[in-house]
Amino acid sequence: MRGNDVVLSDVSMRFGDFTAVHPTDLTVREGEFFSILGPSGCGKTTILRMISGFLDPSSGGIAIGGVPMAGLGPNRRPTALIFQNLALFPLMTVWENVAFGLEARGVPIVERKRRASELLSLVALDDQGHKKPTELSGGQRQRVAVARALAVEPAVLLLDEPLSALDLKLRQHMRAELKDIQRRTGVTFIYITHDQGEALTMSDRIAVMNQGRVQQVGTGDEIYDRPATPFVATFVGEQNVFQGRVTATNDGQAVVDTAVGPLRGTSQGTLSIGDEALLFVRPERVSLMNGATASPDNRIDAEVERRDLEGSFVNLHLRAGNHPISVHLTNAGSGRDVVSGGQRVSFQADDAVVMRAGEFARE
Amino acid sequence: MSDLIRIYGKSLTTIFLGLTALWIVALIVVPQLRMIERAFVVDRYSDEAARVGVEINRSYTRVFTIDQELDRAAAGPTAPTAPSPFSPSPSSAKPSTPSAFATPSASSGGAVSTDPDRTATLKAEKAELQARIAELEVREKEVKAGGTGYALGNFTSMSAIHAKIFLSTLMYALCVTILAFLACYPVAYAVATSRSSERVALLMLGLVIPYAINELLRIFSWIMILEKHGVLNRLLDSLGLIDLAAGEGMRFVASNGAVFAVMVYAYILFMVFPIYNTIETLDRNQIEAARDLGASTWRIHWRVVLPHAKPGIAVGAVMTFMLSAGSIAAPEIVGRGLHPDWFSQVIYQRFFESNNWNQGSAYALVLLVACVVFVLGVMGLFKVGIRDIAK
Ligand SMILES: Nc1ncnc2c1ncn2[C@@H]1O[C@H](COP(=O)(O)OP(=O)(O)OP(=O)(O)O)[C@@H](O)[C@H]1O
Ligand SMILES: [Mg+2]
Repeated sequence: MRGNDVVLSDVSMRFGDFTAVHPTDLTVREGEFFSILGPSGCGKTTILRMISGFLDPSSGGIAIGGVPMAGLGPNRRPTALIFQNLALFPLMTVWENVAFGLEARGVPIVERKRRASELLSLVALDDQGHKKPTELSGGQRQRVAVARALAVEPAVLLLDEPLSALDLKLRQHMRAELKDIQRRTGVTFIYITHDQGEALTMSDRIAVMNQGRVQQVGTGDEIYDRPATPFVATFVGEQNVFQGRVTATNDGQAVVDTAVGPLRGTSQGTLSIGDEALLFVRPERVSLMNGATASPDNRIDAEVERRDLEGSFVNLHLRAGNHPISVHLTNAGSGRDVVSGGQRVSFQADDAVVMRAGEFARE
Repeated sequence: MSDLIRIYGKSLTTIFLGLTALWIVALIVVPQLRMIERAFVVDRYSDEAARVGVEINRSYTRVFTIDQELDRAAAGPTAPTAPSPFSPSPSSAKPSTPSAFATPSASSGGAVSTDPDRTATLKAEKAELQARIAELEVREKEVKAGGTGYALGNFTSMSAIHAKIFLSTLMYALCVTILAFLACYPVAYAVATSRSSERVALLMLGLVIPYAINELLRIFSWIMILEKHGVLNRLLDSLGLIDLAAGEGMRFVASNGAVFAVMVYAYILFMVFPIYNTIETLDRNQIEAARDLGASTWRIHWRVVLPHAKPGIAVGAVMTFMLSAGSIAAPEIVGRGLHPDWFSQVIYQRFFESNNWNQGSAYALVLLVACVVFVLGVMGLFKVGIRDIAK
């Protein structure tokens, strides 16, 4: 364990007889950009509020930098929380907002002003200090909230869906900006979101949650390429899903007998012959066979139903019997990807994941 | 104007404007103007006019009493009735009263009323009084004909003692306002930040139900609590702090403390609701954010909750101050005459005991101006505009 790791051991939260968070172990390393990703109501905010001290866990304990946090209120923890709606103080000026944490610590006003203007220039708001928060744009308010939280020099910054109120363009811009601030300050960020794009682009590691349970913790690539559960596989990114029984297993691979024929994929966990299983393959890992392709692991014959131009890629909707198949092709230009009629598509076993049947992410 | 006509049509607009004008004239302009005018009217012979006026009133009262007695005599012997509430009290009879036959009020009811001699005497007295009234009314006309004029006399003639009562009333009202604020802020905060299901119950129980009772009843119930053998003293007695049987009961009633307590209680609603309303609109995340940034409870209130609640506090303070400065029931009933007078009591006396309506108006105007000054002062102090308050 390093300096300021956040360690949750066996932490759970119950409200009456409803369990919002099932017993969870989680370690967030110092200086990490860590995201908690999950659908609405899965317990993300609850975890964040337990870390910040607004909620006491029903069981288990939280330690930051090796110090147990039990019994410490939010004002005595080395954390700072950025609220979903930011919760800036509307009656104070921007610099007073930023300096509020210092004011609470009894820092003299001259020093407060100095620190506030330093922080405001960190978030590129140098001459906005005298304004009221309501006179700023959404993105600027966002940055004030970050500066206000950083002013108390927290070891851990907790962010509860801070970009959800912004429009798409601004959200993308703020992603880069938050990531940049995190790199420059070296503060641990625990970032909550239900937007997988946000989690994938910004995070060092991601925890995917569903219904109060952490399903998988890993880097963006691990989550995307090696999902641990059907929920993670379907919640993050798009998937073609094939259901069937395992007919053969060898060498970390499994063959599943599906409605479109036997398909081979990389198996997750232990699967034995006869198990009910799911095979996932991402649309961009499926390609159209045009004669030349050397013997692929899996091939499916299908009819092209529709072609959607998405911009940088093209989404082909095909149908094999009753089973829909989606294929993403790079937009090569000049209509080279305009295809129709019967086609044969293929994918490699390495690009497909086979796992025991379980819960899907609901759309 | 043209907007209104476009939206509602000519006839409806006329009705709207007419009603608005009526409202303004009947509720605002006429009463205020009338009072202000009266305040500046000075009777040249105000002393004598007042004396004559008082005497005419008193004579009419006496004639009324005699009539009642004669009626009873004519109706034959009846059970004794209580003395008429209209009979003048002996202490207020002035030497200038012409009636030599003025009898103590106790004799005006009684069993002897069938006596024919007595009837004759009463009739004689009545005739004499009526003559006197006619004479006085002529005199009154003369006196009034002496003319009235506009001057500042009603104000400048305010005696030192009335001025002192005026100032202390403002002080007391300020104290009540401050006490009410101290009592209400925590309540309003607790209710506003409680969970919504509990909130309604809390509000109903704590505030609405007590206020379903009439103000006078509430004041009397407080007297029952505070009086010598009241609830509070008996509680102290049962705690062993005092010995009621030995006459150690504390005299809570008729003290400043008692009047303040009752007034704070009487006007608490006017303080609680505006504050509650504003605190309720405070985003609770702001309180949590302040706490998360390390602020103490005291600082959270000082920097976050109080500034947000300012308009509500200003409204509450203005209402409580106006109501308590103008209150007459609480000081009259709880003070029991032993308490230093409230200015509203002085105004009442000017109108109905000294029969000096002009000066009463002047005093009322002074109080009104003081209240307006207070309102403006509070708004300046809290840096809130009329618009914030209207919100
Ligand atoms: N104080 C509470 N009392 C009872 N139930 C609660 C309480 N707070 C949260 N919950 C429940 O716990 C579950 C998790 O809530 P939480 O706020 O952590 O969700 P979330 O993942 O942050 O969702 P969102 O993305 O919508 O913010 C929800 O089902 C919610 O109804
Ligand atoms: Mg949430």
